[in-house]
Amino acid sequence: MSVKRLQYLLWTVIVLCMIIGGFLGIYIIGKETGNYPVELMLPIIIGVIGGLMVFLMISKWSQKRRGNVPEIDERTLKNLQKYFLGALYFILIGSGAALLIAYAMGVKTIETGLLILCLGGVFLMTIAGAFIVKRV
Amino acid sequence: MKSFVKVINHIKEVRLAKKITQIQMAEDLQITRQTINAIEKNKYNPSLELALKLAKYLDVPFEQLFYLEEKE
Repeated sequence: MSVKRLQYLLWTVIVLCMIIGGFLGIYIIGKETGNYPVELMLPIIIGVIGGLMVFLMISKWSQKRRGNVPEIDERTLKNLQKYFLGALYFILIGSGAALLIAYAMGVKTIETGLLILCLGGVFLMTIAGAFIVKRV
Repeated sequence: MKSFVKVINHIKEVRLAKKITQIQMAEDLQITRQTINAIEKNKYNPSLELALKLAKYLDVPFEQLFYLEEKE
């Protein structure tokens, strides 16, 4: 399969998954409240396809600005490898230390909501770091 | 006894002598401009594949482009 066809397939799968996710949201809201907000279907579809269009326009514009120079090469991949290895150790050791400190401070249970918030923060920081490393 | 510590290259000198810009080289070799800059400043050692590509692109013998810095 050619790279272009794989790219189209990837976009289609991503768009379909996002739309299915939106519909699942409608289903969950309906199941919880008894009122299915079907009017949200159109904004979901328009939002997902519009978002993809914006992404395509930005990537086309940046490609035009960059010329034929690639965005990533062997050095970028090596840098990312090093970064993720460092991040893995940092998160493993950091979260272990945080747990031990919390336990020593007398915290015996952790609320899952707080856990999601903490992990979300770690995830966001890791992704932001990866973007910075990519540009170095 | 001699010990080899660092890989040194003459890419910048050869590139400037041939009047090739970093952007042009990046486009031709499909690497980023930052990578060329890092190699020229001896901050990054390219892979064997890229080093051979560089030697071929600049039309210079490999040993003339890259060599080991010797230290007593």
